[in-house]
Amino acid sequence: MKSLKRGSNLITLMISLFIVGLCILLTKMILEAPFYVSHSSEADLGFVYDRNGEILFDGNAKPGDYPDGHFKDVGNLIGDTSGQMTNTLVSKNMEKLSNYSFLGGITKDGQAAIYTTLDHAANEQVYTSFGGKDGCAIAYNYSTGEILVCVSRPNVDPISGYEDVENLPDGSLLCKAFSKTVPGSTQKVATLLAADQAMGYDTLMSKSYDCQGVYRNNTDIDIICHQSYGHGTQSVPEAFANSCNPFFAQLVEDPDWSIGDIEKYYEKMWIAVNDNDEKEFTVDGIISDTASTKIDDKNEFDTQWGCIGQGYTMVSPCMMMMWESAIANGTGMATMPYLIDHVTNVSGRTVQTASAKTSEQLFSESSAQDIRDIMLQNGNNYSLGYTVGIKSGTAQVKEGREENALLTGFVDDEDFPIAFAVLVENGTSYESSYVAQTLLSAIDK
Amino acid sequence: MRMKNGLSYFSIMFFSLLAHLSLLLIVFVRGRYDSITDPMILSVMVLSMDIGYFIFLRFMKQNTYAFDILLVTVLGISLIFQSCFGKVGFSIKHFIFCIVALAMVQLGFKIAQDFRLVEKYKKIFYGIIGALVLSILLLTGSRSMWISIGSFTIQPSEFIKPFFVLVFATSINSLRHQNTVLGIKVVYDNWILIGLTALIVLLQWWCRDLGSLPTFVSVAGCGLLMRICYPKAKLSKKLIIGICVGGALIAAAAWKLAPGYVQSRLHADIWADQYGSGWQQCQALIASAEGGWFGKGPGLGRLYKVPAADTDIIFSTISEEWGLIAALLAVLLILLLVVTCIINTPRSYFHTTLSVGASAALITQMALNIFGSCNLIPFTGVTLPFISNGGSSMIACGLIAGFMKAGQAMVYYVPQPKRNPQRGGMPR
Repeated sequence: MKSLKRGSNLITLMISLFIVGLCILLTKMILEAPFYVSHSSEADLGFVYDRNGEILFDGNAKPGDYPDGHFKDVGNLIGDTSGQMTNTLVSKNMEKLSNYSFLGGITKDGQAAIYTTLDHAANEQVYTSFGGKDGCAIAYNYSTGEILVCVSRPNVDPISGYEDVENLPDGSLLCKAFSKTVPGSTQKVATLLAADQAMGYDTLMSKSYDCQGVYRNNTDIDIICHQSYGHGTQSVPEAFANSCNPFFAQLVEDPDWSIGDIEKYYEKMWIAVNDNDEKEFTVDGIISDTASTKIDDKNEFDTQWGCIGQGYTMVSPCMMMMWESAIANGTGMATMPYLIDHVTNVSGRTVQTASAKTSEQLFSESSAQDIRDIMLQNGNNYSLGYTVGIKSGTAQVKEGREENALLTGFVDDEDFPIAFAVLVENGTSYESSYVAQTLLSAIDK
Repeated sequence: MRMKNGLSYFSIMFFSLLAHLSLLLIVFVRGRYDSITDPMILSVMVLSMDIGYFIFLRFMKQNTYAFDILLVTVLGISLIFQSCFGKVGFSIKHFIFCIVALAMVQLGFKIAQDFRLVEKYKKIFYGIIGALVLSILLLTGSRSMWISIGSFTIQPSEFIKPFFVLVFATSINSLRHQNTVLGIKVVYDNWILIGLTALIVLLQWWCRDLGSLPTFVSVAGCGLLMRICYPKAKLSKKLIIGICVGGALIAAAAWKLAPGYVQSRLHADIWADQYGSGWQQCQALIASAEGGWFGKGPGLGRLYKVPAADTDIIFSTISEEWGLIAALLAVLLILLLVVTCIINTPRSYFHTTLSVGASAALITQMALNIFGSCNLIPFTGVTLPFISNGGSSMIACGLIAGFMKAGQAMVYYVPQPKRNPQRGGMPR
């Protein structure tokens, strides 16, 4: 009989496994059903709002329903359901917009909605401030993490459809704030942070190097300064303000720190060194690049050039902005940015609310405060209307045929804690400053 | 006729009728139909099938009440489901398949009820499998599992399944006699069955249709497990470890050596390719979600337009129109058919092995269909037993169900006392 019982046990085991599978299936269905329905042609998607209740996405909108260009400033950030843009707020959060429940099915005119932290009016102003130039600007509250402005040019107005999609200008369908770009001299912030941690503040501040317009490095290659007659002998804050390349090349060569130190502190700041895996993070589902570079010998041109923000070094504007937040709040930990303030379901009940989160330690607290002072000192040279810590940069792109202007910084005001990064492609420092000034005043309204 | 245990086929028939009447009421109230005669015809045919089968059973006196009530209930539900996809009507094709399935249950029952009969015709069953394998090699199109005759298609590999289940339960007595080959104790019949399994695996590999492979492997695995531990009651630790290691090695090798089209399914992100290879599964999941707990109503779905809506992704088609609760209940009813095997436990090792093999076939097939279409496991495109449309599947499942039924009402042989030739009479 025992051998017969074995048959029953085997069947019981199979039935049990099958029932476990059914339970998993049931759980999966209930949890993922809103996501499935968001892909349905019958789906009724809710709205996306800005922080003041302005509509940023309307799945049922037709041309003429909204003023021309109403959605254009944040078109490639908010996105739509067309499938043309896959790294946008809507495409990554469609299930949250589903007017659907497993019990009641699809509900027309339900109250599912995403309430963002964006300020539509400020975004429109910043978008306009670029004039005819392309680029991007991103700004957030470094105390809370709320992204207030995030524009990227060229852009599309999703409501107008994608006629002639093949001939859209490059970059129209992605938000450049989350894509890596050549940082130019804004990378000197990261290099200075690494040096401060490796050498210590006092040693770093004791350094001074001479710039005669060109510096021949240890491997006999010239590092050229943007000021052909040179800056003379400078301290760290002076060289930072002058954005002096020969100074930073000599700083990289300095014997008081090693290539291992640079690698170590860069990696800590989410800069992937020498083809290491890049740190991944998302902003409410939107995948953001971080940073990467190649450095192997302090005396080599490529390493020095990378630490100055050229060569193989690439950083996303969002990452730059996060470094600024970690400097501004003086902790060395970046405030994690977010776009979704809260989400309501089909019946209007709030089902998700954002909260402030910080990153891991990107650099030491003391280094954050040291560099903060240097940046604030540099900020005195800018008249943006606020007390700011600033670093500008000029990045050579397209094999030196064009130069992008970058500006990254923070406002030193507890009541207006804004960190930002601006990129103006083929632009000037004047243009990047103008965009930053517009951005700050638009948010402050 | 009232049986000794107080049950009769007439009395239990009402449970089945009640289940079908409830569903038919839903069809009348929530269904989409052009004319009231459509659901009426369906109702008449479903109830006729119930009553007809129970009248037939009343004269057969098979005494497998629980199994029969479940079987007829499942088939009636299947007929209602299949008749309502897209619009309420009456699927005469599926009605015929249901009748054929019921006939196959009786055939399977008659074949397997008497284990001596199975032993006697064992070679014929092997021959049928051989013939079916040959038909796949010779009559199907190039490297295909389907034989097409005009607009009619047959899948011979489906017919192999019941006979595959059957042969694994044969030659139980031979397991007592081990032969020594090169110092290793072997049972020839077990090696024949392993060879047969390998042949079928190779055939499916060659045909690039690995959908039913897990079903064959699970039947073979369960069958061999039952065989290698006969007549001992326990498996030795060494054997259990050996089986686990062997199974893991085979699974790892299959995973590694699987052809490209299988690998792509194993690692598929259906949502990344929802308008390509992930189309069916994505549509199935969307439809299931749209249906929610209670469904859109019979005939009100739209998944029926998607290819294989009434076969490979039928669980979702039912979920969409009838709701997830109804779909799960239908699956649980089929599962209860298997449960009857552990309630009415077979009393012989042959029937136990047969029931285990049959259960493995049905459960694996259900798992492949439901979990595959809902993207819990790779999508293989197999039918849901008794529910999916298709004659080949209905015939195979009918025979397998007949084997399970046979284990619950087998023929007993009372050993006759031997005469004592010296005393010329019965021993005292």
